[in-house]
Amino acid sequence: MNTRFHIIIPGIDDESGDRLFGAVKQEVNRIENKLSRFIPDSDVAMLNKKAANESVRADDEFFEIINACRVCWDITEGAFDPTLRPLMEYWKSRSEVDETDEKLNGIKDNIGMGKVQIDSELKTIQFDSDGLEIDLGGFGKGYALEKVKYMLKDASVKSAFISFGESSILALGEHPAGGSWKIGMNDYLNPGHSLHRFYVSGGSVSTSSNFFVSDNGRLKNHRHVIDPRIGQPVERCCSVSVSAESPVLAEMLSTAFLVSSDEVIYEVMNQYDHLEVIKVDYESGQGIVTEFEQKEADPMVQEDN
Amino acid sequence: MTAALAGTSVLTTSMPWFSIFNNPAAAGNGPSDRVRVGVIGVGSRGRTLLLNLQELSESLNVEIAAVCDTWEDHYQRAIELTEGKAEAFYDYREMIDQVELDAVVIATPLHEHAHQTVDCLNAGLHVFCEKAMARHLDEVKDMYDAHKDSGNILLVGHQRLFNPVYLQAMEKIERGDIGPITMLRGWWHRNTAWVFYDDTGGRGTDLDRLRNWRFYDEFSAGMLTELGSHHFQVANWVLGNQPISVMGSGSINHFDDGREVYDNFALVFKYPKDIHFSYDCITSNRHNGMQVQVLGNDGTIELESNMWFEEFPDDPPSIEDLILSMMEQENEDIPIGGATWIPDGPIRLGGKYLSPEYTMNDTLLYLEGFINFVRKGEAPQKLTDEGYHASIWTLLAEEATKTGQEVFLPEDFII
Repeated sequence: MNTRFHIIIPGIDDESGDRLFGAVKQEVNRIENKLSRFIPDSDVAMLNKKAANESVRADDEFFEIINACRVCWDITEGAFDPTLRPLMEYWKSRSEVDETDEKLNGIKDNIGMGKVQIDSELKTIQFDSDGLEIDLGGFGKGYALEKVKYMLKDASVKSAFISFGESSILALGEHPAGGSWKIGMNDYLNPGHSLHRFYVSGGSVSTSSNFFVSDNGRLKNHRHVIDPRIGQPVERCCSVSVSAESPVLAEMLSTAFLVSSDEVIYEVMNQYDHLEVIKVDYESGQGIVTEFEQKEADPMVQEDN
Repeated sequence: MTAALAGTSVLTTSMPWFSIFNNPAAAGNGPSDRVRVGVIGVGSRGRTLLLNLQELSESLNVEIAAVCDTWEDHYQRAIELTEGKAEAFYDYREMIDQVELDAVVIATPLHEHAHQTVDCLNAGLHVFCEKAMARHLDEVKDMYDAHKDSGNILLVGHQRLFNPVYLQAMEKIERGDIGPITMLRGWWHRNTAWVFYDDTGGRGTDLDRLRNWRFYDEFSAGMLTELGSHHFQVANWVLGNQPISVMGSGSINHFDDGREVYDNFALVFKYPKDIHFSYDCITSNRHNGMQVQVLGNDGTIELESNMWFEEFPDDPPSIEDLILSMMEQENEDIPIGGATWIPDGPIRLGGKYLSPEYTMNDTLLYLEGFINFVRKGEAPQKLTDEGYHASIWTLLAEEATKTGQEVFLPEDFII
């Protein structure tokens, strides 16, 4: 998944640590081999290759993954959409917005999770259009952490801290000094300082941003986040962090909320317990944090649900 | 000449032969400047070598002036491949007598290498001989001595010596990037009966002995000489030394069809500085493929897959701070989350590529080097010595598997 992975398990004995680390590494590699579109025979690559022409039978795990994406697309009103890669590729080579560009409009017409047909009985997936492509970049790390969480529980690990590229974090149990893990959100304009702190015990924090960081670079806008509402890259330098019990939910929601309206964020927050959301806007030259408080549910909304 | 080789600072001690690419021989385009090569043996490997030489014909002004094969099919194929322009022979002696040549490329069955090489060297020709050098230790030494006595070039076809991946790996190792080397591991695993020709009437027939010569003790040491010798050369090269001794065991475990050579063996080479190289080979399971791993205290290099892995990549400061907070029992807010970290270069399953040029044709590069050396009239002695030591230790490894003894280099074969 083109990033790094750290796992810290306080107090584990030598031998168990070796075995557990080996098993976790194998599981993460297995997931990468399944979900990476860069690996030619991964489930995703095979789906992208075939699903425009035929309905593709998915194994149970892969079917559930695509289904989960569909559900998240639904509840975020289209903000979480793993089919936007063709637009991302389009914008890589362009900076001017030309609404009349036929190529752009052609791409827009051909993508969208709504064009992914899912048959729950047959467990098949089919695309309605040729230009469609699934990219699980905003899903895979959270999914891997979800699996690792169960592996650690299975191994009776009571306390652990796992970071997948810093943008997906799972914290189980308590810090060895006692209390929840205090997960600071790094300020990229002032590295080494926290803009916000999540208190996590048995949960996760996922961050999505329209920039990446590497060891020799400052934050860089890669134009890799597309706002599906307008079909254009998010130009404003920003990030969203979501804390949730489930790593995969946190991952999907942080991906979605980067392009969601505040209303949609609040609506989703009302549907889940223990969600915390912050947005950080770096555009002014310093990181401005907006905290989204989980509101008391609006009775009308609840009735609608 | 490739980008990978052009931009590299050549390590003159461990790889002096690479300097030929930065300082090639001056080659005119005229007929008198042409390097004339004869190809002896145009079987599967010989055909590859011939095709590679043809690729160099224009850029290096090299001509395949003669071809030779004792078997009619291959004799005819050689004529076809050279479009009748090369003089064709069944007997290499006639070829070197009758055609004016500068060099020969030998790709015959192993047991033919020695007398052909010695005859060619003594006839004033430079020789590129496929690996391994010969079937018996004294033949290997005879070839080496003929090279020294005649002053003509003798190179042995361990083409990894010219592979950009290996070049970059050697640079990395010499720089200390993987720390001190503590062990080498290698293997060559296939799942194949390894039958080159299946219309011979089966094992033991005269025709099978001729065509599938790799199965017969008289002609070959099987996978030891035909496959393992490549990796034994690599181990010597990486460690800058030849082994102190070799131990091993071999068996015919799965393909017990009348063949005389092992389909299953395991070896341990002891090297100076208390380093071991363990190596195994089977033809009944391909799960592991082929590999040579160089294990250092700070990293691992996988030569056959162009990868290197750090043992202890730098942790981000935030992870170090977190661990410190755990050691010091102070639960602090550490700025550890945020945008996704991405590496500066491409990575695959935790490792980095050694060289961007992964699918390099090292056989072509080696032949390019050979033609340049022929034009200059000399080649780095270390290159010949690499071939010699690899071939000697291949045969000593065979002895170890057959006797169950720890085998050392006999004094007669020290050069």
